[in-house]
Amino acid sequence: MLIARQVDSPRHSTSHRRQKRSFVFMLLPALLLIVGIMFFFLQGIARSFTNEKSYIRNPTFVGFDNYVALFSDSTFLVGLGATMLYVLLVLMLQIPLALSIALLLDKTSFMRRIGRNLIVLPLLIPPIVAGLMWKTMMQPSAGVLNFILSSIGLPGGSWLTDPATSLLSVVLIDTWAFTSFSTLIILAGLQSLPKSLREAATVDGAGWWQTFRHISLPLLMPYVVLVALFRVADSLKQFDLIWPVTRGGPLNSTRLLHVQGYEEAFRFSSPAMAMAIIFVLWIIIYLASFLLLRLWRRTVNAVD
Amino acid sequence: MKTRHTLVAAIAAFALLGSACTTGGAVEQNLDNPGTDLRSEETYDPRAFEGESINILLIEHPFVDTLRPLIPGFEQETGITVNLEVLNEQQGFDKLQADLSAGSGNFDVFMTSPLQNWQYSAAGWVEPLDGYVGNDGITMPGYDFDDFAPGILNSGRWTLEPLTGLGEGPLWGLPINFESYNLTYRPSMFEAAGVEVPTTYEEVLVATELLAGSLSGNNYPVVTRFDKYWDLTYLTFGSMAGAYGVTLLDEDGEVGIASAAAVEATELFIDIIKAGSPDGSSAFTWYESLQGMTSGRFAMALNEADLFAPTYENVSESVIADDVGYAMIPEGPEGRSAGAWIWQMSMSSSSENKGAAWTFLQWLTSPDVLMETHLAGNMNPVRLSAWENEELSALVETWGAEPGQYRKVLAETAKIAEISVPPHPELTRALNRWAEAIQQSYFDGNVKENLESAAADIESILR
Repeated sequence: MLIARQVDSPRHSTSHRRQKRSFVFMLLPALLLIVGIMFFFLQGIARSFTNEKSYIRNPTFVGFDNYVALFSDSTFLVGLGATMLYVLLVLMLQIPLALSIALLLDKTSFMRRIGRNLIVLPLLIPPIVAGLMWKTMMQPSAGVLNFILSSIGLPGGSWLTDPATSLLSVVLIDTWAFTSFSTLIILAGLQSLPKSLREAATVDGAGWWQTFRHISLPLLMPYVVLVALFRVADSLKQFDLIWPVTRGGPLNSTRLLHVQGYEEAFRFSSPAMAMAIIFVLWIIIYLASFLLLRLWRRTVNAVD
Repeated sequence: MKTRHTLVAAIAAFALLGSACTTGGAVEQNLDNPGTDLRSEETYDPRAFEGESINILLIEHPFVDTLRPLIPGFEQETGITVNLEVLNEQQGFDKLQADLSAGSGNFDVFMTSPLQNWQYSAAGWVEPLDGYVGNDGITMPGYDFDDFAPGILNSGRWTLEPLTGLGEGPLWGLPINFESYNLTYRPSMFEAAGVEVPTTYEEVLVATELLAGSLSGNNYPVVTRFDKYWDLTYLTFGSMAGAYGVTLLDEDGEVGIASAAAVEATELFIDIIKAGSPDGSSAFTWYESLQGMTSGRFAMALNEADLFAPTYENVSESVIADDVGYAMIPEGPEGRSAGAWIWQMSMSSSSENKGAAWTFLQWLTSPDVLMETHLAGNMNPVRLSAWENEELSALVETWGAEPGQYRKVLAETAKIAEISVPPHPELTRALNRWAEAIQQSYFDGNVKENLESAAADIESILR
């Protein structure tokens, strides 16, 4: 490979020079981006090792004190657990749902035309609006959800007002708001699958389930994992849906880490603690994305 | 006439418990005194800052509606443009804090309270006002600074020393109203159930259970705020805790919220709510409380703000105007206790229009303008002279199930109302943590355990 390129290079000298030039042109924005992001990122990490608070005029370095305090603080640990549970619930609900809707939409061209237009509607609504809309509908005594449930003879729920059901209720809102995004990606995957394979399987006498299980699903896996990657990263840092709906409550039931970070920074004026929480969250997101990307590559290789 | 004087005397004697804890040698603040050299002229000129424009953040409150109609008059008189932004309490304070901490000075003047100002002033975000008040070139003649009820005015002073020095040091805000807490009830509902208005917290539970039996449909015995927010433990439940001898810091300066008496008070409070409030009451803020009461669905508002009275009594906003009474806040084993809340206006230290901002502040808190807001429903007056006003007295006299009922209750309440928490920049956080423990107990019933865990956290927050 190396030898081949060396042999090739004299013949492509103009394009090589052009490549070099474009490399220089790209260097500046890349540097700006890296410096711009890395500076604040590193500054944030540095701040998490101080005792900075709005009323402490001269913050000093306190080593790992903030992190030690975090991992011995019940609120943080509950928030860490709630964040993990949130992600798990999102995946368990949204991936099967998105897959089913995508399969349904893929079935006929009529469904596809109508359904694809309808399904993007939640995506056009800002999460804050979606959240407030659902908050009104989930209101236990005056909300429309309990009204509908009672009119068909089912008991109403406490939804967002009970710590036992609030996290699941927010996950339901999240599902309403973001499943269409996942559906669209999986649908695109479905439509890119070679028809011939499935037709061949049908000709060989395979049923719908067998065709799906052994042919479509393995081929779709890269898309499913991609959806999981997006949803995991987004749900781990979910904030704009939760804050207007529950502000982390009732109790700490929806106080995910991002909410806690926000509160530390903007309610309690403790940027150091906020940065510590956000840095822990960043590590979790980084690790999750890293693992999912590896899984994604493996599924892509498997398809190839 | 005599009763009116009792009221003035009671309000004049408003106490700051925090100041009682002050150690003798409070640190002398060596702050420079801004505002003294803002304008060199000797006499006041309302148009001195003509053409400037100021942004004001107000927290949704009955006061705001009384202020709005007066703004055009101010703009005309001074040539200053006023931009009002009104937000609900939690959003408003969040936005204010974001603005103040960024030092961008978007808001020149903001609505606040001692509790918030302990956080803001310690961070250097609030302009001390003494220099402005003392400068005759920018403060109108007849402003009469000494007319403010001393305790209420001094609640805006703090030396910036944690846990002490309240009522001393620089003035961080000027008061616009104060509230304390009472038991507001519906005479018709109590009569129908054959229940007497309760005078102790134990009786409140009994009355709640009896009312629950007689009320039907969407009507409930009790409404009170019950959010996981500092106002619960500072004001409403805080008042009940006081009647059980429970305060955030006890006499020895220890966190006192997990004592046997605290457990008893918390259990009783939760029992009352469970017996008398609808589902979802665990998220009620003061707003739901006020709306719930004015909608006529509740038989009593327990330990709620007395300054809701003008809204209750206003036929265009309330269906209970003809059927509402006021009683003293209930008694506990240690007597009666009532929290005090003072709304203030402060100036941002990063404001770029301090002259115009002060012109607005002193205009708003001047005797005449405050009087106009009081007559429109901004309760309770913070200037002693306001209570001598015939028109206001006549208006207030009509409030309640019998003539003079509101005034009598207020006069008695003012004698016991006090700020019973020590000043600290992170006090809201400590009070939030306490409120969380109470709410948690509502759901899981482990009162003692939850209060002990909150007490430990508060200990590390405050020290």
